[in-house]
Amino acid sequence: MRGADGALLEVRDLKVEFRTRDGVAHAVNGVSYEVDAGETLAVLGESGSGKSVTAQAVMGILDTPPGKVTGGRILFQGRDLLTLKEEERRRIRGAGMAMIFQDALSALNPVISVGDQLGEMFVVHRGMSKKDARGKAVELMERVRIPAAAQRVRDYPHQFSGGMRQRIMIAMALALEPALIIADEPTTALDVTVQAQVMDLLAELQREYHMGLILITHDLGVVADVADRIAVMYAGKIVESAPVRDIYKAPAHPYTRGLLDSIPRLDQKGHQLYAIKGLPPNLMHIPPGCSFHPRCPMARDVCRTDEPPLYEVSGTRGSACHFWRECLDDLDDLDG
Amino acid sequence: MTSTTSTAEPILEVTGLVKHYPLTRGILFKKQIGAVKAVDGVDFTLARGETLGIVGESGCGKSTVAKLLCNLERPTAGSIRFKGEDITKLSGKALKAVRRNIQMVFQDPYTSLNPRMTVGDIIGEPYDIHPEAAPKGDRRRRVQELLDVVGLDPEYVNRYPHQFSGGQRQRIGIARGLALRPEVIVADEPVSALDVSVQAQVINLMDRLQSEFDLSYVFIAHDLSIVRHISDRVGVMYLGRIVEIGRDAEIYDHPTHPYTQALLSAVPVPDPEAREQRERIILSGDVPSPTNIPSGCRFRTRCWKAQERCVREVPALAVPAVFRDTSGPAAHASACHFAEEKQVVPAEDS
Repeated sequence: MRGADGALLEVRDLKVEFRTRDGVAHAVNGVSYEVDAGETLAVLGESGSGKSVTAQAVMGILDTPPGKVTGGRILFQGRDLLTLKEEERRRIRGAGMAMIFQDALSALNPVISVGDQLGEMFVVHRGMSKKDARGKAVELMERVRIPAAAQRVRDYPHQFSGGMRQRIMIAMALALEPALIIADEPTTALDVTVQAQVMDLLAELQREYHMGLILITHDLGVVADVADRIAVMYAGKIVESAPVRDIYKAPAHPYTRGLLDSIPRLDQKGHQLYAIKGLPPNLMHIPPGCSFHPRCPMARDVCRTDEPPLYEVSGTRGSACHFWRECLDDLDDLDG
Repeated sequence: MTSTTSTAEPILEVTGLVKHYPLTRGILFKKQIGAVKAVDGVDFTLARGETLGIVGESGCGKSTVAKLLCNLERPTAGSIRFKGEDITKLSGKALKAVRRNIQMVFQDPYTSLNPRMTVGDIIGEPYDIHPEAAPKGDRRRRVQELLDVVGLDPEYVNRYPHQFSGGQRQRIGIARGLALRPEVIVADEPVSALDVSVQAQVINLMDRLQSEFDLSYVFIAHDLSIVRHISDRVGVMYLGRIVEIGRDAEIYDHPTHPYTQALLSAVPVPDPEAREQRERIILSGDVPSPTNIPSGCRFRTRCWKAQERCVREVPALAVPAVFRDTSGPAAHASACHFAEEKQVVPAEDS
């Protein structure tokens, strides 16, 4: 794997649990990843895979309780965030790293104008006057290409369309020019034509500011369009990590392969979709050994008992499958 | 999917379907000040055993079409013929009989199942409304059969919805839709709330049930890839109207309407290399409000080809004049004055 020095963000063996009435849910079970400045890392996974919880732990916005970071380190620009006081973490949020949420309508305050919400960033973090902050808000809205920004700065979130609201979310995340942006399903709630507009804007701004970007998504199509690297999560772990091209060409984990085979393609009309059998595991009772083994077409005895580490497939790739070589080799196995 | 052609006798025939929701002002003296033109002149046919996919972005009226087809809403104008009979004018017994034959599967498996009812009661409820469909003593067995058909354990009849996952709940919704042995199923975004790996299971199930029960589907979704996978024919909706309709290869490989082309080009394809060969058309702006539909062609405000004629003249949904004498795949109905073929999805390489 890649050398760690110089990474903007380095997550090491992170573990997060949720203590609930019914038991302890192991949401994140030893996740490690790195993001460099200017790089886009896509974290791909289905619901319950722990992709959002990992991001919330990085941002420091985990609901505690019931959530609790029980192990690991989060190094941001060399500092371990988990050892910082809440006051210091608050300063990093916004100025050092910022988050874009999926649902802009519920992430924005409905009774405060968007101008005031954007301006608040400058009042709180930079100690600006309200008037100057308003000017900054207009500037930001122009930067994310909201038409007639100077007039619309007084409008409330409900007066904007979904795509425009998501632009406001992006503007808010960019306000203090953070080094890292975490976007949690930023375009999932949007229509496909608007999705493309928003994704393009985000990619362009990322290049302009040379930010690190963590893109959390379940959509393999969106990932292919913008990511440099992909980390695939399953049951709170990274099961495969690779540069984006490699993973689409030849996945080295049966879960990734199943996912790729199970999505209908716009450019192909198949008759039967490959379906991964069964359901994602209950996080309170994660299967022993490889957590994917009950659904895996390649599973053998060793998979039921021994948990696979993230094997090194090449200098830039890793796969948490005992049989990653076979997975790479006989690509026709699943079709039979 | 069967290879039925649209020339077979249609089971559903929709003509000039319109649904306007009035906007009123005033409390005592209500005055109509406008209307939300949710569906504004839709025509299509559905052949027996066929799947018609309807795609469009939010607000295009596709869900309103679903409600109209199931008679959950009365249209403002137009007709829906089920086996030749206009069902929009029916009431009482005749309406009830038709409803048995057109059933709906909903998008959200979390809110469309009553949390206080057992699965057996949910799937069996249609029999309370249509007691002639199953004799009382036979119902439990039928419900268990249905559970088995959709791939759930028949022993689950006494469980409650919260004990199931999203994909399993959608199977329950499908079993309920099948209970009365309908001929047409209208599915409104049936898999969009499900995870990718579970989506495939549900789509394969719907595929299998179609041949098993000789069903005709109207499959409504915003995901163009899924619609292509399941549909024989596809209609693309924009602001209350179908702008282009044809067989799946005609729409996906030979689109002639600029909106369809933009929509297709915007879909992310899970293949970084295919992506580089694609030209992307990024539309500017948002969909106009359905209360204030542009004159002439309703897509002209976002169209890069729009000209004077598009402001004045409403384009009809018909085979465009340029293709009328050809027999190629571009010769399908497209509501554009300046229709031209443009390949936006890279051709299949395998």
